[in-house]
Amino acid sequence: MTDLSLSRRNFLGASAATAATAAVAADMTSLDVLQNPLLAGELKQQGKRVILLWLAGGASQLETFDPKPGRPTGGPYRAINTSVPGVQISELMPKMASRLSKYTSIIRSLDTKNADHGGGARLMHLGRRDEPTVKYPDLGAVLARELGRIDSQVPDYVSFYTATEGRGNAISQSGFLGARYNAMFLTQGNVPPNLSRLAEISDLDHQQRGELRKLLSERFADGRQSASLASHNESYSRVRGLMASETLFDISKESQSVRDKYGPTLFGEQCLVARRLVEAGVPFVKISRAWWDSHGQNFETHLELVSELDHVMSALLDDLSERGLLENTLVVTLSEFGRTPQINSSLGRDHFASAWSSSLSGCGIKPGTVYGASDEDGRTVKDGKIGAAELFATIYRAVGIDHRKDYHVGARPLPLTDPGTKPVTEVLA
Amino acid sequence: MATPEKFKLLKDQGRPEILLSLARVKDTGRLFLGASDGKIYDLDLLAEKPEFKSWEGHQSYVTGLALAGETLVSGSYDGKLIWRDITSGEIKRTLEAHSRWIRKLALSPDAKRVASVADDMVCRVFEIETGKQVHELHGHEARTPNHFPSMLYTVAFSPTGQHLATADRVGHICIWDASTGSKVQSLDAPGFYTWDAKQRIHSIGGIRSLAFSPDGTQIVVGGIGHIGNIDHLDGPSRVELFAWEKAEKVHEFLGDAKGLVESFAFGPDGKWLIGAGGDNGGFVQIYDLEAKKVARSEKVPMHVHSITLSETADKLFACGHGKAAVWEL
Repeated sequence: MTDLSLSRRNFLGASAATAATAAVAADMTSLDVLQNPLLAGELKQQGKRVILLWLAGGASQLETFDPKPGRPTGGPYRAINTSVPGVQISELMPKMASRLSKYTSIIRSLDTKNADHGGGARLMHLGRRDEPTVKYPDLGAVLARELGRIDSQVPDYVSFYTATEGRGNAISQSGFLGARYNAMFLTQGNVPPNLSRLAEISDLDHQQRGELRKLLSERFADGRQSASLASHNESYSRVRGLMASETLFDISKESQSVRDKYGPTLFGEQCLVARRLVEAGVPFVKISRAWWDSHGQNFETHLELVSELDHVMSALLDDLSERGLLENTLVVTLSEFGRTPQINSSLGRDHFASAWSSSLSGCGIKPGTVYGASDEDGRTVKDGKIGAAELFATIYRAVGIDHRKDYHVGARPLPLTDPGTKPVTEVLA
Repeated sequence: MATPEKFKLLKDQGRPEILLSLARVKDTGRLFLGASDGKIYDLDLLAEKPEFKSWEGHQSYVTGLALAGETLVSGSYDGKLIWRDITSGEIKRTLEAHSRWIRKLALSPDAKRVASVADDMVCRVFEIETGKQVHELHGHEARTPNHFPSMLYTVAFSPTGQHLATADRVGHICIWDASTGSKVQSLDAPGFYTWDAKQRIHSIGGIRSLAFSPDGTQIVVGGIGHIGNIDHLDGPSRVELFAWEKAEKVHEFLGDAKGLVESFAFGPDGKWLIGAGGDNGGFVQIYDLEAKKVARSEKVPMHVHSITLSETADKLFACGHGKAAVWEL
């Protein structure tokens, strides 16, 4: 049975969450909540959201955030100045270059050891290696658990992966947190299938069917103890709320000028949906843009994909900022690994996990910072080496989650990140 | 002789760089090689002990070279064209010719003009002597049908210099009147472009090589055919032959080699054609245009980026990934 330690949810009390939220908001001082670091942290995370731009297949750090112009490994693209003096990124990202000082921090020192698509993707979804006896939740499930509201009428975790390549690697697993935190996983376009009520069923019918299902389920559960059964019932209890959120996925509700800013590509449209979702309170949205695996013609592939990323990411950050959402929304770019400095004879780059990059923008982030460095040819990390755990700890801290907290599965404490893991405080605001 | 009878490596020379473009001094083995380090290498491949000498000047890959007498014009991904004296190596002129990558240069047969194509999707024609721009040719879409940046890969003059052809990423070909700059024909060869809408949601391919037949009536375009797994150049090399005035496809050759056909050289009688390129390896293929078949397909030790035939068609010079080579035909 899952037994989570002191958390906002327990603190508020699941049975009266809404009322308790109001009470806390109204009278925090009487509870002396800010004297308790854990509770203070819990409150910091209220209303925080995360959008993960998952660059599936492995985006090249050299053609994005860590260019090496003039080096034999550097490839043909130039580096351009950014709005942060002394910091350059690839010429393929002029829009992000001008926004770096406003929104974004770059991490150039990921050394994650695993350059296999499946293993790398699991590592960068779980923040740790698999363990035979524990099924860990992925980043989205943890953030859904930590940032979601018990009384939420919107999904806690929405994941888009429209391409088929690499979809199986981009895991969505709630693990020991239970089915409540599984992703709403969209693979066909931008709108969840089967979310609408069937036309031949009236709203009253639908409600009554739900009540009948609940009655039967409770009768079945009577006298049984099962975490999965409880989480199953909890998921059902949210169905009507999720159905009501259908319009969030409909970008025709946006003005043409907003749609034009994101552009006509699927990735652009899905990022616009992501903005609509976080605006409505969805705590975690993952947009997977596949497929970056450029073993042949790396530079053509990156001209195509980085140009799109630069445009869409800039539009997303601008839009979030203009709506006042960016101070509470963290936008992360992440892959399973980067790409080799060595250019192969197909003018491609291969898998590489020894010195690659990620970016963090918005909520909790000190914009314009660059953490870590690779060597002059990009072959190794020369400064500030971190792995998946440190990156995850940084993400947690950025949204106000104590990365040292424990979950409990039975009597066993399971730390959110491995003991001793330190976030990259240099990039945190 | 319908096709070359021999194909024998005479000599090769390795380099750490990728050698992307090539120009040769007539009747010699002296090659100028445009490289990935932004330099131009001067190499006599037929000398007893070939040595690479280098010239600097570009900031990125040197993808086009055109040799007009003692003047070498080079084009690069840095968007610049540089005029240079080949005896002294002195730079005579630098033009900021294009706003994006220059992909290839072509020299007019009278050696008075040079044409450049770039990813700004414009072909520009300049006078060699003065550097003056003669034409600016717009005939290619800036975006692919799927809203991504397109690329203008290749250009060639007809043997008389009367026409000029350009070809792009999605397989669109324009034929221009080289004297007036007016477009005289458009062709499409969509088989060179793979858009993967389902598995990977991006594209690969494009027409990488182009040549007019010796009589000027046909053009041949090369690249790669449909690719299933577009992570790699894992598709059949592809060549299409057009009677361009009638906009009629005469034949298509799917080689048994995988990869891009990067460069062409017509045999002097127009009956055969050599195409070369590669994936992670390299190939040279000889196409019999009368029999309409790939007469010969040879693996070579590098992905080939550019080739040229000797005047008597008895030697094939090539440059590519980390190597320059010459074969006896």
